[in-house]
Amino acid sequence: MSKTFLPSRLIGRGFTYLTAILIVLWILIPIYLITVAAFTPREMIYDFPKELVPKVFSTDTMRFFLGAYKVLESFRNSVIVAIISVVLSITIGAPAGYALARYAFRGKDVYSIAILSTRAFPVVILSIPLAVTFIRWGMYDSVFSVALLHVAMALPTTILVTSSVFLGVSRELEEAAMTLGCSHLQAVLRVVLPLSLPGLAASAIFTFVLSWNEVFAATILTLFNRTLPALLIVQIDQSPIAYRFAGGFFILIPAVVFMFFIRKYLFTLWGITLK
Amino acid sequence: MKKFIGILMLGAILMGLLAACAPKTVIETVEVPVTVEVGVKETEIVEVPAEELDYGLVTFISTQGVPIEEAEAMRGVVLKDFPGQVEFIGSEYENFEDTILAEVQAGSGSLDVLGALYGQYPTLLDAGALQDVGPLMAKLSDRGIPDAVVELGKLGTDTQYYIPWMQATYIAAYNKKALDYIPTGADPEALTWQQFSDWGKNIYEATGDKKLGFPVNGLLHRFLEGYIYPSYTGGMVTTFKSPEAVEMWEFIIDMWQYVNPQSMVYGYMQEPLMADEVWVTWDHTARLIDAFKNQPNDFVAIPAPSGPMGLGYMPVAVGLAIPVTAPNQEGAEELISYMTLPETQISVLREVGFFPAVDVEYPGYIPQGIRMEGEAVALQAAAANAVPAMLPVGLGPRGGEINKVYRDAFDRIVINGEDISTVLAEEAVILQALMDETGAPCWPPDAPSVGACQVK
Repeated sequence: MSKTFLPSRLIGRGFTYLTAILIVLWILIPIYLITVAAFTPREMIYDFPKELVPKVFSTDTMRFFLGAYKVLESFRNSVIVAIISVVLSITIGAPAGYALARYAFRGKDVYSIAILSTRAFPVVILSIPLAVTFIRWGMYDSVFSVALLHVAMALPTTILVTSSVFLGVSRELEEAAMTLGCSHLQAVLRVVLPLSLPGLAASAIFTFVLSWNEVFAATILTLFNRTLPALLIVQIDQSPIAYRFAGGFFILIPAVVFMFFIRKYLFTLWGITLK
Repeated sequence: MKKFIGILMLGAILMGLLAACAPKTVIETVEVPVTVEVGVKETEIVEVPAEELDYGLVTFISTQGVPIEEAEAMRGVVLKDFPGQVEFIGSEYENFEDTILAEVQAGSGSLDVLGALYGQYPTLLDAGALQDVGPLMAKLSDRGIPDAVVELGKLGTDTQYYIPWMQATYIAAYNKKALDYIPTGADPEALTWQQFSDWGKNIYEATGDKKLGFPVNGLLHRFLEGYIYPSYTGGMVTTFKSPEAVEMWEFIIDMWQYVNPQSMVYGYMQEPLMADEVWVTWDHTARLIDAFKNQPNDFVAIPAPSGPMGLGYMPVAVGLAIPVTAPNQEGAEELISYMTLPETQISVLREVGFFPAVDVEYPGYIPQGIRMEGEAVALQAAAANAVPAMLPVGLGPRGGEINKVYRDAFDRIVINGEDISTVLAEEAVILQALMDETGAPCWPPDAPSVGACQVK
């Protein structure tokens, strides 16, 4: 009995690992190739077949790229925009999500759908009116304006994700806290928030990545203070392939680093622990 | 545990902040070599006037000089000696247009000087975004800009809307190693496309390597619109699905047997030339220039080949305009004046590979490679059978769509092997719809039309 059971379990486990390895490779191989190409001397970039472990390294392309006008400045802008977006979308979105999770009110379903519909609206057709409005309000060309638009784009998902996160926190705990002398606000701050921190973090990742990769709003609303994707998308698109790899590498790494630090919470969101 | 998570969160945010601050220190260490290099170049070429003028901040947005190295050369070398602070912003056309239109609608702006292709101005003109620069043009009459080029800047009206800045075109190039295989009787300076293809065939048969190359991932659509179509059909739009066009596509399919398959990823032909992957090719002058500059003894610039209907080629005219909302009017005019100085024009040629719009003598320090490219350009324009093809005009914001029609036709016929007539018939419908919806009349090489251009 156990003789036949064991191999099939082993095969099953082996299959799981194999699938996991394939998925990981599927993601890592392009990243690896981009990284290698970013540090390959320019005249060798078209060499084919590629060596798996490159023998010649060159930082020329990368150095020129990093020294190029405003690349580092726009990198800083991107980080600032992403942080403002994350903070604002959580501060505005979490209370709305809480309301959706805890209170029954007239038109709640319509409200949830209305929130999502703003995301369905194509921002592209707004480009000129949006820029005109920001110019008239004297808010054109600032990182804060870009962050505002990113918040607007991220809010629907933030609200819906946080609302499901708050739903997962038992209401009894909150009520228990209130019977022990907490006000409603205190109960939320001391009991509900700490319990939902992982979910909030995941929603923060989502906003961060959205803001980090967003090009359209960042290009139309800025001139001098561009974010990294806005600055690069045009230049890289029209630049020799060596710079495309350098730019791709440079824009990829911060997102990977951010993910690395926050990945624990992502798994929590996907239902492994939310107790 | 929760505290621990909180601390981790804080850590992540701190990391972000650190990343935000760290570059400041890097910026100095990295920029130093760049400025040093620039300094050396500058002493070689530009005479700095002694006057202490300052025209303040001049914002210069351009659809040309966008690739990272060209933009750096514009900032670090070309614009360096302007008495004032020039903010050069390279921009793709859609964003360029949106930004200008938004500023004009809002009634206040930050852009002072616009740099764009001839065909990119009509939409801005229609929106009332362009100033009359006639008086400035009059002041610059001593620059020696040919009348025909000045006339282009009127955009078909009686008013001068842009000042010619620079020009470019697309040419062919070959590696001297390929000369052993050139078809008998062929003159490299007056090739036909058939000879171009046979050249590739000879190389393939002798060496087993496919050494022709095209920038499929680059400006291939210009090859189709401005070179092969006019050369084989005498037109660009009207002859899109003509019998001559069918023959032309058959020729391309045949030639493609000798084209390096890596062409699918080539954006610029200078790298594959220098990497010895391609021996005979065609591309934009600015995208070949490095090969001629770095190895002038290995590569030769030649006019594009010709076809049964002549030598189709595409001159690219670039102009400078001032938007009605320019905050620094004086600075804008001075910058345009500066850009048309012979020294600046030469410096643009040297750094970016665009040719002067003004009449200049090439000074002795101009590298041989650039000189050679300039000669090929002149030879091409002066060819007796030249068929100049203009960049698509009058399509406004939908200018990119025409390129897609030609590229799609290429992908379907040459790459996917679909039936030529079927593809041309289907793509012609899209092309015609584009013409009808924009109402664009025909432009050269097609004969002028009343109303929207019609595919025959």
